[in-house]
Amino acid sequence: MSLVLQGTATDWAFSVRALLPVVLLALTGLVVFGINSLRPDGRDNKLLALTSIAGTLSALGVAIWYLLAGTGQPTHGGAISLFSGAIIVDGLGLFFTAIFASVATLVIAASYDYFESDANPASFYSLLLLATTAMGLMAVSNSLVTVFVSLEMASLPSYALVAYLKDNRGSVEAGLKYFLIGAVSSAVLAFGISLVYAATGSLLLPEVAAQIGSVGDLNGVLGVGVVMVAGGVAFKTASVPFHFWAPEAYEGAPAPVSAFLSSASKAAGFAVGFRVFATGFQPALDIGIDWGLLFGLLAVVTMVLGNFAAATQTEVKRMLAYSSIGHAGYALIGLAAITAGASATNATVMGAAMAHLFVYGFMNTGAFLFIAMVERWGVGRTFEDYAGLAERAPMASLAMAVFMFSLAGLPLFGGFLSKYVLFLGAINAGFWWLAAVGAVTSALSLFYYSRVVKALWLESPTTDLDAVGDVPTGLYAAVIVAGVVTVLLLPGFGPVIETAEAAAAALFA
Amino acid sequence: MVPPEYYLVLSAAIFCIGLFGILTRRNALYFLMSAELMLNAAVINLVAFSFQWGNLTGQTFALFVIALAAAEVAVGIGIVLVLYRNFGDVDVLNAATMRW
Repeated sequence: MSLVLQGTATDWAFSVRALLPVVLLALTGLVVFGINSLRPDGRDNKLLALTSIAGTLSALGVAIWYLLAGTGQPTHGGAISLFSGAIIVDGLGLFFTAIFASVATLVIAASYDYFESDANPASFYSLLLLATTAMGLMAVSNSLVTVFVSLEMASLPSYALVAYLKDNRGSVEAGLKYFLIGAVSSAVLAFGISLVYAATGSLLLPEVAAQIGSVGDLNGVLGVGVVMVAGGVAFKTASVPFHFWAPEAYEGAPAPVSAFLSSASKAAGFAVGFRVFATGFQPALDIGIDWGLLFGLLAVVTMVLGNFAAATQTEVKRMLAYSSIGHAGYALIGLAAITAGASATNATVMGAAMAHLFVYGFMNTGAFLFIAMVERWGVGRTFEDYAGLAERAPMASLAMAVFMFSLAGLPLFGGFLSKYVLFLGAINAGFWWLAAVGAVTSALSLFYYSRVVKALWLESPTTDLDAVGDVPTGLYAAVIVAGVVTVLLLPGFGPVIETAEAAAAALFA
Repeated sequence: MVPPEYYLVLSAAIFCIGLFGILTRRNALYFLMSAELMLNAAVINLVAFSFQWGNLTGQTFALFVIALAAAEVAVGIGIVLVLYRNFGDVDVLNAATMRW
């Protein structure tokens, strides 16, 4: 096998059409750059924000259109393979692209107000759009090369986004810590990929899967490689053992960036994890490399650690950061409850985890954007400082209450159904202990989520809330939209879980 | 021909040296160099096994890894620069206003 280029010309028009959501995001990022270089001194915050939102909304629209039309799904000719199989457009890729585009839309709408007085908002919007582009690529990567390249493409703008407030010590410190751990874990991922290549002689996921049966003596090398790739996934999803950047980065970063990282970036990590392990490393389960058990242990530790640490926090933003680690643990069940050969139950659990990430994308983004609004008002950061905010900002506080109860999994909002289906799927797959730990930690999480609601609605203000009267349009709209979607996902959960399970079933077919 | 095990030992050794540097050094620039060392360990593996397997996939990927490592350092240096401006030092332990 050599790398001689094929004689036939690549059909660029077809590739662009198949990858249209990602291409639209990339083009929007470049258009924002273009606007800024044509008018370097005009700040054009509104124009830039509207351009960016137009781009993310059209990417979202195309992704949903493709999902409804069945592009790349088994009913319509199966997954579309591009660039010699390095990129594959299928239900999973489109589903996750829809998550990234929705989160990016909400975050950009919020950033319009958050960075109102910023000297150069164009760099913020373009970094955000390019990171979203890279996440879209992560979701369609079908080769360890594209996985690594797109993961780095997503990480590099994220480091800059976290450290975006150059004169704010918290932001710089958060960026430094995120970068240091990111650099180490990307090196670990690269080394893991090189070991997988050493054992199997290929980097395309289906070819890796085909070679795993015949690795022979290099079994151990392959095992170490698989574990190291799992480490790379753990970093991107903020799971144990590479989770400790998350509280720092989410606390110090500007709140819209925290929203983006904890929702979209986490989902992107899972998109990569789901595809790499389901498509590439599934046969490794047969030769004794039990990565399912590894993810099971990581899921338990992540759920317990995230939820217990969240319960002890005094600052709301840091509590949400730990809660987002806990939610990474729930989604890890989708990778943990995998047994060799059981395609149907595997697809159910993985689909449930995808649906949970979808719901999580709205409720968690909304919660962080509420914090962005509070930061803008200049109210403090602790639970006590949030006391009595409902009197001044009832709509936003109502939305925050919806996010908190939905994150906890109370049976009135979208977050309940996604957790319920996930735990039920785990039980049906024979992993009752994962579901048990998930249910217990969810019950615990109600304690610290309800503290926020209690402070907002029941306690009387401890600080001066005069600044709260101001209503930032974009931020408010983003929070309300996220709240409405979180509520609507309770009756509208059916199509989401069906799409997710069909996408997951295609991986295990 | 050098047996492939030797390459694995070499790359594992370089990877561990890089990891050791990251765990012990406090200067952010040493930290960057150590991370580079770990990435280069991966590159050695890729090139060695590209030769072993007789395909060019590994060598091509090695070029991508080198390019990405350069991009990573560019962003990293930028962050180290703002670190120096804010904290007056490039000691990674100085930046500890939030608890770990």
